[in-house]
Amino acid sequence: MSVIDILTRVDVLCKKYEKYDLDKQRGAADSMSGNDQFLRLYTVLEADIEAAIQKSQDAQSEKNRAVVATLNAEVRRSKSALQAEIPKLEKLAEKKVKDLSKEEMAARPDLVVALAQKIQDIPDGVTVGRRGGTWGAKAGASKPVEIKVDAMHPDDLMRPEHYEQTEESLGFKQEYEARRAKQDEGLDVIAAGLTTLKDMAGDINEELNKQMPLIDEVDTKVDKAAADLKNTNVKLKETLIKMRSNRNFCVDIILIVIILGIGGYLYTYISTPFTSPFI
Amino acid sequence: MASDKASNSNPKVAEAEKLVKKADKLTKFSFTKWFPDWTAATPLYEQAANAFKLAKMPEAAKIAYEKAATGQERSSSPWSAGKHLESAGGLARELGNFDEVIDLYKRASELYVQCGKVQPAADALDKGARAVEDVKPDAAVRMYIDACALLEEDGRDQMAFDSYRSAASIYIKLNRYEDAATVFLRWGQAADKCKAVQSQCKAYLSAIIVYLFADNFNLADASYNDCSQMDSFFKSDQNHCAVQLLSAYREGRPDEIKHVVSTSSVIPHLDHMVIRLAKQLPSGKVTAIVDETGHNGLDEDDLR
Repeated sequence: MSVIDILTRVDVLCKKYEKYDLDKQRGAADSMSGNDQFLRLYTVLEADIEAAIQKSQDAQSEKNRAVVATLNAEVRRSKSALQAEIPKLEKLAEKKVKDLSKEEMAARPDLVVALAQKIQDIPDGVTVGRRGGTWGAKAGASKPVEIKVDAMHPDDLMRPEHYEQTEESLGFKQEYEARRAKQDEGLDVIAAGLTTLKDMAGDINEELNKQMPLIDEVDTKVDKAAADLKNTNVKLKETLIKMRSNRNFCVDIILIVIILGIGGYLYTYISTPFTSPFI
Repeated sequence: MASDKASNSNPKVAEAEKLVKKADKLTKFSFTKWFPDWTAATPLYEQAANAFKLAKMPEAAKIAYEKAATGQERSSSPWSAGKHLESAGGLARELGNFDEVIDLYKRASELYVQCGKVQPAADALDKGARAVEDVKPDAAVRMYIDACALLEEDGRDQMAFDSYRSAASIYIKLNRYEDAATVFLRWGQAADKCKAVQSQCKAYLSAIIVYLFADNFNLADASYNDCSQMDSFFKSDQNHCAVQLLSAYREGRPDEIKHVVSTSSVIPHLDHMVIRLAKQLPSGKVTAIVDETGHNGLDEDDLR
């Protein structure tokens, strides 16, 4: 067996039986408890942040709105709890801890700030782009000056320049006025079109009311005409039947035969003048 | 070509003339004939009239139509008689005998009334009036108004609207604005009877505008007071416009008047002749109408 193999085997065995290593555990606990509360709180907060981020990611990928709402609420709750913990962490950061290098001591406040920022950045379903984003429809380009809501310091309010119009605000106002005027124009056009429509609709209404009794009259007249036609047709049928009844046919045929007979007799009579007794 | 046509129609014309002569013989009194035979003569006259019309001889056709109409009348079919008279009237218009046109159409209308058919009667009067309105506007207007009266008697007010409109337009053309306004008010009344609210309001607004155009503010105001008693007018946009116009007149501000007319949403939907008048408002001088009674008859010093 080579040295490397031995070393790796030792590492594996140590890891396996780590929990039996009382010294190490006591050392870890020592370093965690009592001496370095900062680190402990820091790790706890970090774990909570991770959990909150996980939850917010679930919320973003979730389709069911109710579930999204609950997840968001939980994320917000944990965020506020974490933010409450930040001041404590800041205080701990200032405390001196032994066995810690000077650089690390200096780095701790920055770590605290970074952690606070991380907490703030957890997406919790509240409107995105609260900081430095553009407002709704009225704004044109994004503002170089950030607009903060309810973030006024009392000193700011007392400054006289606060109430003056800056270039951006003037331009903003002008654009607002221009757009409003355009909207008004459009609305005027729509109003004019609507009045015309209303007038036409009223006229159509009156015309229809006018035509209604006329159509009723036409209806009755056509019904009467149809009934008359029906009657006439029936009578005509009866008359035709009478004309063409079988009895009449027979009478017609008999009469035709008689006439033919008479005609034939006359023909023979004329064609034989000598033998006819009637000369 | 023309000669061909003449030669083609000549035999037809000659035939038609023969028919007329034959029919005349049938209808004339003579020793052998004690009673004229209209039943035989009428179809002959009709044929002849058609032939003359096709041959474009309106004079002869008209005479033939009239005679055919008389025949139908005697045979107690006033409907056909009326139809023939109408055709005769149309031909008379072509010929330019406008008095005859009026006469023929009036007779036709009477015949229609005899059959009990009111609508065709009114239509006949309308047609006659339209035929002569350029030349004899007074007679035309009277015919229009008679047509309206006929229809109103029969209860068919709605069909009278067109006649009212024509009558009013003729009056406006003749610059008889008071008469035109009166016609509009009558129109409004007819519309009220058949619940045609839109026409009613438009008619009333037109009347007010015409009165204002005639520089007669008092009449306009009085008619507005009458009209506003009616609920249907009072609630309408036309009422609103009328109020604005009258108040502008009362204050004597021509620019306000023009503004009301140009921005109004109802005026462009009135009849075009009324729109023309409205656009010319204010006509004449507009002064503020001062209320003569002053402080309503009460004086401040009169507190006793």
